[in-house]
Amino acid sequence: MTLTVSGAGSASGSHSVEVRGRDFPTNKGGLCRKGWTSAELLKHPDRVLEPLLKNDDGEHRPISWDRALRLIRDRVLSTRERYGADAVGVFGGGGLTNEKAYLLGKFARLALGTSRIDYNGRFCMSSAAAAGNRAFGLDRGLPFPLADLGSARTILMLGSNTADTMPPFVQHLQGARDAGGLIVVDPRRSATAALTSEGRGRHLQPSPKTDLALLLGITHVVIMDGLVSESYVRERTSGYDAIARSVNTWWPERVAAVTGVPANLIRETAHRLAEPGGTYILTGRGVEQHANGTDTATAAINLALLLGLPGTTGSGYGTLTGQGNGQGGREHGQKADQLPGYRKITDPAARKHVAGVWGVPESSIPGPGLPAVELLASLGQPGGVRCLFVHGANVAVSAPNASSVLAGLRSLDFLVVCDFFLSETAAEADLVLPVLQWAEEEGTMTNLEGRILRRRAAVAPPPGARSELWIMARLAELLEAPSSFPDDPEAVFTELRAASAGGLADYSGVDYAMLDKELLAGEVLAGEVLDGEFPDGGAAAYWPYPAGSGGTPRLFLDRFAHADGRAVLHPVAPPSSSVSASVAASDGMLTLATGRLLEHYQSGTQTRRVDGLLATSSEQVLQIHPVTAAGLGIMDGAGVEVSNERGTVLTVAGLSTAVRPDTVFLSFHFAGAGSANVLTSSETDPVSGMPEFKTTRVSVRVRRPARSEVVGV
Amino acid sequence: MSSVSAGRDVFTERAVAPLRVVVVGFGPVAARFIDVLEPSLASGAVQLTVVGAETDAAYNRVLVADVGVGRTSPSAIGLSDPARLVSLGADVLLGIGVRRIDRARQQVLLDDGTALPYDRLVLATGARPVIPYLAGLNPDPLHPAWPSGVTALRDLADARVLRTVVERRGDVVILGGGILGLEAALAAAEEGARVTVVHHGDYPLARNIDDGGGRVLASVLRSQGVRLVSGAKAVGLEHSGGGAFTALRLDDGPLVSGDLLVLSCGVRPRLELAEGAGLPVASGILVGHSLQAHHDEHIYAIGDCAEVRCVSPSCEDCSGNTAPSGLIGPGWKQAEWLAESFIAELASGARAGDGLETPATVTCAGTESANPYVKATAAPSPASADSHRYVEAALPPVLMLKARGLDAVVAGDAAADPWAAHEDGTAVALWADPQQGSYAKMITRHGVLQGLVCVGMPRAGAELVLLFESGAVLPSDRSSLLRLDGAEAEASLSSSASDPSTIVCRCAGVSRGSIEQAAVVGCSSVAEVSASTRAGTGCGGCHNDIRTIIEQHFQHPVELAGHTPYGDS
Repeated sequence: MTLTVSGAGSASGSHSVEVRGRDFPTNKGGLCRKGWTSAELLKHPDRVLEPLLKNDDGEHRPISWDRALRLIRDRVLSTRERYGADAVGVFGGGGLTNEKAYLLGKFARLALGTSRIDYNGRFCMSSAAAAGNRAFGLDRGLPFPLADLGSARTILMLGSNTADTMPPFVQHLQGARDAGGLIVVDPRRSATAALTSEGRGRHLQPSPKTDLALLLGITHVVIMDGLVSESYVRERTSGYDAIARSVNTWWPERVAAVTGVPANLIRETAHRLAEPGGTYILTGRGVEQHANGTDTATAAINLALLLGLPGTTGSGYGTLTGQGNGQGGREHGQKADQLPGYRKITDPAARKHVAGVWGVPESSIPGPGLPAVELLASLGQPGGVRCLFVHGANVAVSAPNASSVLAGLRSLDFLVVCDFFLSETAAEADLVLPVLQWAEEEGTMTNLEGRILRRRAAVAPPPGARSELWIMARLAELLEAPSSFPDDPEAVFTELRAASAGGLADYSGVDYAMLDKELLAGEVLAGEVLDGEFPDGGAAAYWPYPAGSGGTPRLFLDRFAHADGRAVLHPVAPPSSSVSASVAASDGMLTLATGRLLEHYQSGTQTRRVDGLLATSSEQVLQIHPVTAAGLGIMDGAGVEVSNERGTVLTVAGLSTAVRPDTVFLSFHFAGAGSANVLTSSETDPVSGMPEFKTTRVSVRVRRPARSEVVGV
Repeated sequence: MSSVSAGRDVFTERAVAPLRVVVVGFGPVAARFIDVLEPSLASGAVQLTVVGAETDAAYNRVLVADVGVGRTSPSAIGLSDPARLVSLGADVLLGIGVRRIDRARQQVLLDDGTALPYDRLVLATGARPVIPYLAGLNPDPLHPAWPSGVTALRDLADARVLRTVVERRGDVVILGGGILGLEAALAAAEEGARVTVVHHGDYPLARNIDDGGGRVLASVLRSQGVRLVSGAKAVGLEHSGGGAFTALRLDDGPLVSGDLLVLSCGVRPRLELAEGAGLPVASGILVGHSLQAHHDEHIYAIGDCAEVRCVSPSCEDCSGNTAPSGLIGPGWKQAEWLAESFIAELASGARAGDGLETPATVTCAGTESANPYVKATAAPSPASADSHRYVEAALPPVLMLKARGLDAVVAGDAAADPWAAHEDGTAVALWADPQQGSYAKMITRHGVLQGLVCVGMPRAGAELVLLFESGAVLPSDRSSLLRLDGAEAEASLSSSASDPSTIVCRCAGVSRGSIEQAAVVGCSSVAEVSASTRAGTGCGGCHNDIRTIIEQHFQHPVELAGHTPYGDS
């Protein structure tokens, strides 16, 4: 998107800014409501403008930067001395620029000396990433440019509601819709599912937690009906026989009895996917945010591989990355098990390379830490983290089992939160550090296609706010950290390039000058999600982009990233217990799925501060089927209580036939009494560490207190 | 000595020698058992021998008809990889029968005289087709010697026989109106064969379905090209000079001619091995809640040959009909349960045996000292849960017809009369549209499904099965389930109402009224409306709607907010 600043140069900040959609391949000029209104956040009265220290009375009061930084140093040193380096932890975010994500990983390992770093992408992309790495040897959300989708006749979207979460994306579905080939798998009749109506495709509406069985059923038909791309499977994959045997037992009628999707719709879907003319299979959080999310994403990849889609032109598999920098944020060292360039922290060669770039002994880089849910569970516990830094995340709202996370935050010896608003997490902090917003900083983001985009500062930040790079650089000095911690984004990027060189996500051939060339002359840009155009002929920078190369818009055309060049078909199956009707619904419990709304982003810290967004979505609403509601005596708009053993959400009911009668839906954008994550559990995927966000058992009942007690925001 | 302590003895031995497990039968249930047991093979804790009478390793019998009509290949329905099992140290013996079990010596004697000693013997001998009494057909199930042109469609050899007839679009006569017969009939008909189903009763599936559903089903079958000869009793075969089948003779005289007779008269558990060894049998080999044969702690039975009924006459779990269902689902559950319980016992036995923590536990403890918050993510095993007792699902099985052109499902007791007064909380809801070939019946007790019939309504049928299996209370408005197959279920969310408050652009939240207002102030193109209102700037899906509103405006100008559209001059 483009920011136009009028009255620029006025140091007083009296300038006004206007956001416009830019005609770029990914958004084709479109913007969502969050994009249109994003400039309102820059001058928002709620902004934190000075470091805030929580006093004994629980009130935050301003202190100087100098005092704040020295306080942090003292607390880090005393914590480290008393409990060891791993008692200091870092929690990052997928919204941070590549430079900040990179430097945060380095800061944790070298300046803090801790292994305890992870980030909110664990709640977002971890299952798809794990599945992509397992199958292809590499994880880039879309291994092809997004615009490629436009030419496809058939697109299968699993658990992705882009019509609400990323509206401009919908333009790329038009070709498949025109060909009657948009197939959406979602337990809800979401806005995206509704795009299949009027002959534009099909909506498959499985019972929650049965996506994997559905995929196995489709795969079964592909194999039984001879739809497998045999030469592709022979030449480009390994593991076919085991897959064929494993899906053999999932014939369509058996799958229908598990999922509620009619057997012949399963057959039709398989045959449609195998038709020529271009087919893409895309997964989203709906199928990934489960305790078996990695296996479900793997099943989608297996299906794509059997059909011969990945690594060909005009067809493929991809996952739709959620956060602004959800791709770049998972590549350069914010993950517990990772070093820059998507390297494994346990790989001796990777450690040696990065230690070389950093100029430190390899042994000074700690080993793997804990994935997010375990990291948060350790807060304040014996042997756990006692001093925590949070950057670009609002775990008090976004993490599962939020009440226990809140308790964990409160049990810390010291909590530092970097944010530009007093988020629910920042409100708990001993120290809040005001940082820059998207339009106030330089840097790069890597979009959902693996394309590296330049973010340019368009407006001057408020005087009291500082870049996180600056904060890390100053703290590294105070902590007498080895290596260097530049606070200039371009210098950090230069170092990132070297650290990533030779890794899977190799950025070594990309530089700021090249990225800047892609921008329209004279126009000032800032990108939260989508950016750039290259009228002057600059090339789009898709990683891997080793020095001397021209980047990689389409991955895997010749080979996959495993040593033998083949993709791995990895057999998966639902746990045997979930296949039987073990979920006894006779107890009156319903299945709660959580997700997003058109109006809001993540924990809502930003979007709940925009009047234009609040106008249409100001409070939590429980989506419930009218038939279910009638059985519970719940009227549209009535106050309801949604509860389980972990907590209770107080909200209002919104009756909708878009949700299955056995399922209710809450968004996770709201805090306080409307915070959906007080209900979700800490159960995680054994491979990816992804929490189970979509199948929480809850009971729902009508409540009768005064309306004023209904708290949503 | 109780079976428990005997079991422990076996595991104590394990410290020096692997547990010898012999599986007799290599069908889908045996394959599932072996799959789940695989980690114990790989670790050397189990020495496995599997003996299969067929020359093929396990394949998915449910799909034999698909092979028979040429829809898929025998290799595609394989369930097991013998080479892989051998590489894990197992012995896979195919195409060989078992002569008898020598319980005293704990060994199995094969047809070729080989003796296989076992610590645990798992019988997965399955079931064989029922052979009806027909003149011209040898009724001895153990030594079938059938005329050519007769098959039971139970194994891959049978499938090959069917294949030759379907390939040349021949005449197939199916004797039996049960679910397997109908599936074969529909598959063969869809692949171009001429198919006749000869069956008892007024309509197919007569043992399971109700009258209304049966009639609708029959008419749909006919419309799919399947000829039905109902209420028929077959008495004999006619054959050609060469002895090949030519026709089926009915008791009232007429002949049903064809190139192939498929016998689909049900299956019967294979029990002779167990009976010969003196194990107690009823409809199947009797096993208790550990799937152990009565009175022999070394022998287990799973799948079609097993009947879960314990020795206690007062056991509530065994009070109903315990005969094997003949369906694959329960067999797979038994296989998984048994293999998991072997694994769990081996693990606990090994720890008890050497009195030390296993290496796995040591690793875990080592990790824990560094990472106290790393939780073991081991799947709950039957041994650790309260489910150390296999109990057959109380629910009657669900019959979902496997067919492409027809959706039909029957479950539970479907006979209840919708018009009768039921004293026990039973209620029946019914929908019938015979002309359209759709029929639904829901039999509930206190709101919970006890039985269902659903024909020609795929979404409703699948959802009813979910509700049946979960035991959930049905919505009081039962018709909400029928509407799942209605056109409105596929409708788009957008509304074409002319109400000015209707949202036209969801992405930007712009109403029809705002767009009309934009037209009033002069916007005459989608781009202009977008620039003025942001409508159409997200997904772009509303561009046609915006265009229509603009066109309507210029055709029938709307007066808004006191303004005349084209000014007051």
